[in-house]
Amino acid sequence: MSAGISALLGWLVCGLALIILLIAALGVYRLPDALSRQHAATKAATLSLTLFALGAGLLAWDWAWTWRLILLLAILFTALPLASHALGRAAAGSNEAE
Amino acid sequence: MTLTLLFVVLAGLAAVPGLHRLLVGPTLADRVIGLDLLFAVAIILSLTAALLSQRTVFLDVAIGLAVVGFVATLAWARLIQLRAGGESE
Repeated sequence: MSAGISALLGWLVCGLALIILLIAALGVYRLPDALSRQHAATKAATLSLTLFALGAGLLAWDWAWTWRLILLLAILFTALPLASHALGRAAAGSNEAE
Repeated sequence: MTLTLLFVVLAGLAAVPGLHRLLVGPTLADRVIGLDLLFAVAIILSLTAALLSQRTVFLDVAIGLAVVGFVATLAWARLIQLRAGGESE
């Protein structure tokens, strides 16, 4: 892949990631209760972070960047579902208690 | 360059609802959700800083932020669960 196409694709993917992050923020602001807000914050933010890391990797096009971004994504993909599951269970438990 | 600054502005715009949830969220879980969104914005801003300065140091900062956010959310979830239901499980 030539550098120009890679850079253009990188900017596009980064812009898309920012738009998805804004949608996640809108969902966190607008949705009615804690569990649906968490659904917006976790899933959309994960997609946004993935796309932004992909875009940054395309823009930099360098192995020193690539392996760090892959490590970041591996940490995010293991950490975010675990954390959001624990938080969702805690939120559901506190809703039942009220 | 200017496109990267636009990224910074958009990410800052996305941080506003997170801050709002962190400050006024009706339940404790809402505050943690706001914190989660703020961590996502911080990771994206850190990646943007790496793009802007062409240094890989900020990628290490992003990895550290991801780990700290994971531990923070787990700890808060545990605290909420302990406060709500006691040691029921």
